[in-house]
Amino acid sequence: MPAHQPADVLGIAGIACTAAEEGLGSVVRLDADRILDALAALQTVGYDFLVDLFGTDTGERIELTYHLRAFATHEDIYLKVLVDYDGEAASVWHVHPAALYPEREAAELLGMSFPGHPNPKRLLTTDDLPPMLRKAELIREAGEVQLPYE
Amino acid sequence: MSDGHSWHSDVALEEGRPAYLPRGLKRVPRGVDELATEHLVLNMGPQHPSTHGVLHVLIELDGEEVISAEASLGYLHRGIEKLAESRRYHQVATLLDRADYVSGLHTETAFALATEKLAGIEVPWRASWLRSLAMELNRYASHLVWLGTFGMDAGAMAPFLYIMRDREMILDILEEWCGSRMMFNYVRPGGVFADIPAGLDAKIRAWLRVADSYLDDNDALLGGNEIFQARIRGTGLIDAATALAFGMTGGCLRASGVDYDLRRDVPYCAYGELDFEVPLGVNGDNLDRYTVRVGEMRQCLRLIRQLVDGVPEGDFTAKVPKVFRPPAGESYAAVESPRGELGIHIVSDGGLTPYRMRLRSPAYFNLAIVDEALAGGLVADAIVTLGSLDIVLGEIDR
Repeated sequence: MPAHQPADVLGIAGIACTAAEEGLGSVVRLDADRILDALAALQTVGYDFLVDLFGTDTGERIELTYHLRAFATHEDIYLKVLVDYDGEAASVWHVHPAALYPEREAAELLGMSFPGHPNPKRLLTTDDLPPMLRKAELIREAGEVQLPYE
Repeated sequence: MSDGHSWHSDVALEEGRPAYLPRGLKRVPRGVDELATEHLVLNMGPQHPSTHGVLHVLIELDGEEVISAEASLGYLHRGIEKLAESRRYHQVATLLDRADYVSGLHTETAFALATEKLAGIEVPWRASWLRSLAMELNRYASHLVWLGTFGMDAGAMAPFLYIMRDREMILDILEEWCGSRMMFNYVRPGGVFADIPAGLDAKIRAWLRVADSYLDDNDALLGGNEIFQARIRGTGLIDAATALAFGMTGGCLRASGVDYDLRRDVPYCAYGELDFEVPLGVNGDNLDRYTVRVGEMRQCLRLIRQLVDGVPEGDFTAKVPKVFRPPAGESYAAVESPRGELGIHIVSDGGLTPYRMRLRSPAYFNLAIVDEALAGGLVADAIVTLGSLDIVLGEIDR
């Protein structure tokens, strides 16, 4: 059992955050510029496994979700930060090398950047493809792909 | 000149060099040591048979030794996460079959579990049990594919043929059950699509009567081979701390000695009721990954015996409308796929389709360690190590 609640740990480290129990589990929201400090602080109290990192287009900004796990006790927490379109969040690969691929993926698919990433290239898609996971990027509708003689 | 890969930046085209020579073969002297050979960048894939799909690995070589390696992904990227945003909850399973095409039932189940968590759907016990049974059959088939291709990576051709014969037997069972050999579309939110056909349990039992001896034969043929053992012992070392830092899960993590299996530690479906062991490795080399997976296959047979004997009575699905709107919110559910923790994270805005669906692919995280695992080894071992990671590119690229 990690000795402290995530919000307490972040409070001691001087990181402003709001914690809530949601349907998903324990969710902590904080500012994007403190995410690296927050992950480092949480790692010292047992949240040492980065399960996943992904972004969601909320319609106004990009919400990054850092899914952390205290490996010894199977306790999961979710850190969420909001980033502007074409904005940036510090790369967390120093703390969690597992973030190396997902950060590259989030950067290309949502149109943002992770300063400090050692290899900030595209991962899954080719150059010049617009960030497809943005809600403004529409999948073609049925009418567009119908054959002309139909 | 530069195609974006870091090693190419200092490689200049040589005057008069034949055009057919790959760029990596251009030798550029490095350092002052006249005796040192120049590094060579080897493009492995995307059409290399031992990349298990369309993986492109750039390997920087100093003679036979690997200096660094980098995986170049995306050849199979179909935008499954984006496509799921325009599919209703019952339709997404079709997409997810094509993510991990070797063990589609696990991906389907992860999505169904996440949807049920989100929408508060109660799953009948029989449905959970059938899911577990189908998943274990699928896991065994998936491990057989790995076992055969892993042998081929090390140069063992014959076991592959026997192993594919064994896999056919399972695929026949799954075809009769789910209607398809690989693209099952069987697990739906609320339960499963159809009940187990009458008489299929007898077929599974008939297969189980020979499965043990077939596995013993294959294990003796491949793992009992001294040359094969020499190839895989001590190569591709991954220690536990590195494996955890890179987010590895599944058999690759257990081979490094970390005792972690979602089926036992966070039970889902029927696994809480079942009796099985979790095989562990010690060193995290290719031999450990081999023994752990073969051990898992034996546990798999043990699980299938328990599952097929104890199918409970009841409904195979809950009453779920064909079109439904889960409440706004998020949910995450994970299953232990043959490759590791396969998680589905759904964000719902209360609409008919997921607002965002994230597939946490285990092979994606397992592959990220490729540089750590290959560097320092020989190029011939690189192929074996890649094979030992058990990657499926459909799931990595999504």
